[in-house]
Parts: sequence; structure tokens; C-alpha cells
Amino acid sequence: MSKDLSKLMPKCWNQDSKPHLFCPGCGHGITLKQLGYAIDELKIEDKLTLGIDIGCSLLVWNFFKFDTIQTHHGRTTPTMVGYKIAKPNRIALAYMGDGGGYAIGLQSLLHAAFRNNPITVILVNNENYAMTGGQMAPTTENKVITSTSPNGKQIEFGPGFKGPELVKNIANKNAFITRTSVSQPEVLKSMIKKALINQIEDEAFSFIEVLSICPTNWKTNAAESFKRLSEMEKYYPLGEIK
Amino acid sequence: MSSKCEKCILFAGEGGQGVQKIAQALNLAASKSYQSTYLNSFGVEQRGSPSLAFIKISDKVINYPRFDHADICLIMNSRSIPVIEKYVSANTEIVFDSSTISITELTKISHKKYGVPATKLAFDKFDKRSYNILLYGVITKMTGLDEKESWNAIFDLLGNKFKTKEIVDINHEAFIFGREASLEERDFSEPQFETKKGITIIKNSERKAIIMPARCKGCLICVLKCPVKALKVGTDLGVFGTPVPDIDIEKCIACGNCKRFCPDGAIGVEKI
Amino acid sequence: MANSSKIISGNEAAVLAAIDAGAEIMYGYPITPATEILEGWVEASQNDKSLKYLQTEDETSAGFAVIGSIVAGVKAFTASAGPGHILLQDPISMAENLRLPFVTIIMQRGGPSTGTVNFSQQEVNLASFGGNGDGLRVVYSASSVEEMYELVIQAFNTAWKYRFPTFVLGDGYLGKMRTAVKLSKPIKNITSKAILKEEKTPTYLRNCYSSEESFGKVLAKNIYDWKINKDKIVESESYLVTDATEIIIAHGIVAAAAKEAVHIMRSENKKVGLFRPITVNPLDTRKLRQILPKVKIAHIFESSLSQFSRIIKYEAYGLNTPIIEHPKPAEGITSEEIINQMERM
Repeated sequence: MSKDLSKLMPKCWNQDSKPHLFCPGCGHGITLKQLGYAIDELKIEDKLTLGIDIGCSLLVWNFFKFDTIQTHHGRTTPTMVGYKIAKPNRIALAYMGDGGGYAIGLQSLLHAAFRNNPITVILVNNENYAMTGGQMAPTTENKVITSTSPNGKQIEFGPGFKGPELVKNIANKNAFITRTSVSQPEVLKSMIKKALINQIEDEAFSFIEVLSICPTNWKTNAAESFKRLSEMEKYYPLGEIK
Repeated sequence: MSSKCEKCILFAGEGGQGVQKIAQALNLAASKSYQSTYLNSFGVEQRGSPSLAFIKISDKVINYPRFDHADICLIMNSRSIPVIEKYVSANTEIVFDSSTISITELTKISHKKYGVPATKLAFDKFDKRSYNILLYGVITKMTGLDEKESWNAIFDLLGNKFKTKEIVDINHEAFIFGREASLEERDFSEPQFETKKGITIIKNSERKAIIMPARCKGCLICVLKCPVKALKVGTDLGVFGTPVPDIDIEKCIACGNCKRFCPDGAIGVEKI
Repeated sequence: MANSSKIISGNEAAVLAAIDAGAEIMYGYPITPATEILEGWVEASQNDKSLKYLQTEDETSAGFAVIGSIVAGVKAFTASAGPGHILLQDPISMAENLRLPFVTIIMQRGGPSTGTVNFSQQEVNLASFGGNGDGLRVVYSASSVEEMYELVIQAFNTAWKYRFPTFVLGDGYLGKMRTAVKLSKPIKNITSKAILKEEKTPTYLRNCYSSEESFGKVLAKNIYDWKINKDKIVESESYLVTDATEIIIAHGIVAAAAKEAVHIMRSENKKVGLFRPITVNPLDTRKLRQILPKVKIAHIFESSLSQFSRIIKYEAYGLNTPIIEHPKPAEGITSEEIINQMERM
């Protein structure tokens, strides 16, 4: 791997699986890059184990240079809880999307926060179930039309789901809970670092929701994707949930 | 249709190339006069992985939608060639996009290989995304389906995507071009629409831009996020055949936004 | 505990066995009749700090936490029953795909649904063929408190050696009955190893594939391993079959009743024997097919409709010996009943 090429991506990215299989312009790519840089800067590549969910996050199975386990849908959080109990000195990271965290996996996410299990959960919110073709997610906002919300995700299905706020309500006071966005990659990276340090030093639960873009299912180009993202940021406030 | 009562047709491309739509159209068109089935086959990824379609057309009732041997195989990208090898034999008639696939990639399989430079034709003469429609025209002619019924099937399935009459007409022209294209077995060994290999370095005394086309998927986020508009759509092609951005290194201020935002690690600039 | 006699229940035997097998972590959710296993483990962990536990939010999370600990290289397990067993099929299917040494102790209860908390033999299907795979799971069936202890230890060793999800089936009677047993500790346990190895070359564990062919290869390897190790894994007991003209085929505590019935019938000079599979899956087919042709008739007794008899009949395919089924779903079967049923024929 040439020196020049290695400058384009984090050291802990597995070069052999690039170009990765995420769609052009996918917010996962931006998130995973900042996650990679956070891990490089904290120098924890050899101390970290990653769990990933089903959905687009499963494409991360061979993405990094460290041990990775892909679980069933909504089951990444309890798997990493069990991993951390067995190996308290390793850093346990769980990576998932809006379905895995707020629908099928919500119960486990809440209980991990409730028990203050010292794991870090990163949830990528692009307001739809992308891999299966763009069905509504709990985070889909009110007027948005998807194949399972053909009239817009009206009040009957619930408005956009505010996960970090919910988690904050039952989490231990030492937990670190925040919402960030791929529109601010440097902030995203620093939040990831804070979350990981929260696990390492405070032995507490940490949770980051990342507002993200999905050009394929939103059917948007680059400019339209970031425009929709800035609309999302008006509804889903950014920053640490205190 | 020819004298053989059943025809097995395999379409192979990548997610995002419109393989399934033209396969469904073929099925719809064939069903007007024959028995016909269609079955898709693809993995979990939305983009970047093989997308196959199995179409069976017959005079008799068809029970099972898949087959081991394709009579006709349409290949729309190089990456799907290893996947379709097991369905293809010396007797299979292969139609391939010669503007993106070199005939040398197909030498091991089949004797009858007809290249159509569909991507280039679409780019030059029609709508650049209509290469699948053009190839559809070729296939419907090969399978002996009626021209009007074949076009109606496309219109039924894709009509709502053709936003204006101009778009409808230009796609129709691409379709007709495909119908009338003469299929030759020729040496098309220099595809013109290939991913640019290697690393592109553009530098001056102060800054150095590094671009890797093989990782660029043409999302154009870097162009959007450049605060000084130093990036614009270029002419080199990336991994999905989309244009890779060009950089004006004099305008560039090495802010790092392109690297920061690129989801694929395809671009970055450093101060020297 | 070693080599001494004490009065314990089947559930207590399970806890002692898990500890003696080298298990370090239990995850679980209270459910009758398995709750005492979780409680007993928790109590043991208060005196032994090397033992850890977590009562999870449900059985599904318990199962995935077991997986998390297993891939870290620690012997972890869970225990459940009935509806909890249904939920466990989610994580166990993942373990079956990834060849993880997942140990589950199931104390069967009446089903389907919440059924009863008491007893059944109706979780054979779930253990052997549950989830969305092809049944590459080792399933032991305990017929006594002492055997509960032996088989739980065996299960951990089988699981970590051969890497198939491994079950020990007990039931509500076995879990709760109290009797004096002599427990002898195992000679040597298989050591556990980290499956996410923390090495320079990373380990990637995925259970999802994009093409039929690539997944087909994975399954072919798993099936191959299953087939070549079958003979080393199967266990069965043949009791007084050598000169028998009739045999009973039963497993678990129903087989214990059948053994009593055999004693009684033998005392009346009836030539009856018992073939008792100890592994229900894989079954000791060789032994079964050796015995069947030599007897006039076989009687299957089970506390389910046909979960056990289907396995037997599948493995006995082609043999001519008539096999009579005596199903009694979700209800206990005594030796008297067995004798009555057989005499009726």
C-alpha cells in the first residue's frame, strides 16, 4: 500500500475490502471514516472488538483491521454486553442502524443503558430501513413517504423517534449520550473519542446517534442529501444530551 | 421465436444499472404472446454487487423459473462475469457492453460474442443512463419479440421515471437503435469506459492532491463540500464508471474537506 | 461434592455440573421450571467470585450475551424452558451458523405456548431442529438427577470440542425431584479458547452471505463435520435387549419409568428390553438398527405427540419391525401405564 494512498483513509481501515460496498455518497462511509480516525488517534486498534447489526451496517463485517462479529437484527447490543462481561479490559463497540437500535433492538439498548453496561453504541440514523429498500423506520419523520408509509408517516405511526433523549431518561448519570451528524465530521470524531474514553476511563455506557444521509433510498444527489440532513437537524437537536 | 420451444435468457449486471427493470420488461413483453417467467437473484448489497435476472420464455407452461444453461446471456459489467460462467456454454449467445468490457475477458466462455458499445452510445447519442434500454432493444430483437410490445413493456414499467416527452423520445431512440444494431462478432478489445487505474497525483509547490479513481463512486460530495470550488466533475472514470472529480490545485486551499467528507477514502489533499 | 452423596434436585445438579465443567458466566431469565438453575448459580457466585451472571431483559438477549462471552473465549451458558426456549432459537441459530459452543439446559414444560409449568417432552423439536437451519445441534436427554450432572458436564465438553450448539434436555419433574446422588467430578475438561482471537490478523465472524454458492460451501463444511463426528458424539443405553422379544424406546425421565416397567415385566418372565437414546440428536442409529431387526415389536413412549418417534422412525427407515407409538403430550407416564399399554397389544 503506497504511502500516498494510506493518507486517504484511517490506518485501522482494512485496505483489502476497499472500495467498500456502501452506496455512493452513503453516510456510513463518512461515519466509519471518523470512527477510524478516532480509533487511530486514541491508539486503541488492538484493544477493540466491534459488533455490527443486520441492514447496511452488516457491510462493515470486514471493514476494519480488528475483530468484528455480525449479529442478528437488534442483537448487537446484548452480544457486546456479554462480550464485555467476559473481557472487561477490551473495548466493546456496537454499531447499528435505526432499526437495530430503535425498533427490534430497543429493549436491549435501553437495558444496557439502564444497567450502565460499559459499552459504546453508535447508531446511524438515516430515517429509513435502507438495505431492504427504504421502508419506514421509527426515525422517519412525519410527512415522509416510504413503501410502508405510503401516505406519509403520519401521526398514526408516530413522529420521528428521539432515541438519545429516551435513553438519557433511564441511563445512569455517568453515561455519555449524544447526537451528532455527518454534516460535522470533526465534531463526530470528537464525540466518538469522548464516548470511547467514557467506556475506558469511567467504565460507563456511551451512546452516539449519528444523523446520516441515504442518497439511494432518499433518491437525492449530494446537495439534496445534505439539504435534507440540515432539515433533519432542525427536528433532531445536535449535541450532548444532558 | 425460433424453433426451440423454450428460451432461457440471463441478464447480468450490477445493482444500479437497471438490469432488473429491463428483465421485467422482457418478461412483460414476452407474456403477451408466450408463457414467460422472471426471477431476480442478488445479494444483500444495494450497490456494487452482481445483479442477475433469469427469464424463461416458452410456448408451454413454465413451472420452474431458473435454469442451468442460458441460451442468451446479456452481460452489462465485468464484475459479473465470474458469476455467470456456470450458466454459459459454447452455444450461448452473449451480448455484452463492449464500451466497458473487453472481449478478452470473455474468451474462455462461449463462441458467439456480440459486442455493443452501449454505454458509449448512450453517452454520445442518447441519455447517458439509457444504455440498459439500448441493450434491451438488442435482446428483444434477438428473441424475436414484437417491437411495439417490447417498447410498451418498457413504458409500462418505467414510464413514470421519464419525466418529460423529450426523455421518453430519447429512450425510445436508444431502444430502436438497439433493435436495429447489427450484431457482429468483432474484436472490441479496448473498452473506452474503464475505471482509471492507479493513483492520480496533482500538485504544486504547496499542496498535493491524491485521488484514487478505483475507490471513487461518483457521489460528488467532495465537489459540494469544497469551500473554494476547486473541484469539478472530471473525465476519468471511477469504480462504477462514474466521473471522478478534477481538482484545480491553484484554487485549492488544502482545507481537508474533501478527505473529511469522502465516504470512500478516494481523495485527499495535503500541504507539502 | 466429589465422591460424596447428597440430596439434590435436578436443577441443583445442573448448577453443580456447570461449575465443575468450567463455566464462568450464566445469562438467564426466570422461567419455571428452570428458574432454580439461575438462582442456584447466582447463589454460588456469591461465594465464588470467578462466577459471573446477568439476569437479562429476556431470553433472546440472554442468548446473545452467551454468544458475546463465548466468542471472547469464556464458557458461558443459559437455561430455560417453553416460551423462553422459543426465544432462544434466535441466538442459537446464529450459533449454529457460526459453529459456536453454545450450551443450553432446557427443563421441558407443556406446550405449545405457555401450556403448563410442569412437565413434557415437547421441546425435542425445538432443541434438535429449531431455528431456521438443518438441525446441526447435539441434544442430550437426561433420565435421572445423576445423569443431569453428568450430561451437563458432557455438554460443555462436546460443545467446545465439536462446536455445535449443545443442549441438555431435562424436564419439570427432573428439575424438581430431590434424591441422594453420588457425583464424581470429571477427569479433564476441554479448555475454552477465544474465537475472536485478538491477533494481528483480525477474525471476522459473519453469518450473512450474498450468494447461494458461497453459503452452500459453509453449510457443506458444517454438514461434513457433523457427519464425520457423529459416531464419536452419539450415546445410548441398551438395557436387557440381548434376548428381548419386545423393546421399549424412550428417552429422558420417561425412559426411567420404562426401566421400572422392564424390571416388573421381566419378573413376570416377559422378555422386554429398553433402548434409551442418550443423544436424541444425533441419534445412535447404528445401535437402533442393530437392535430392531432382532425384536418382534418396538413401543415408543413419549410425553409429546411424535417429536421423538419421528426421529426414531426416520432413522429406522426400511426396517420391518413394527413400531407402535404411545404418545401422551405434556403428561407424565408411569411404569404402570407403560405395562398396561403394552399388555393391551
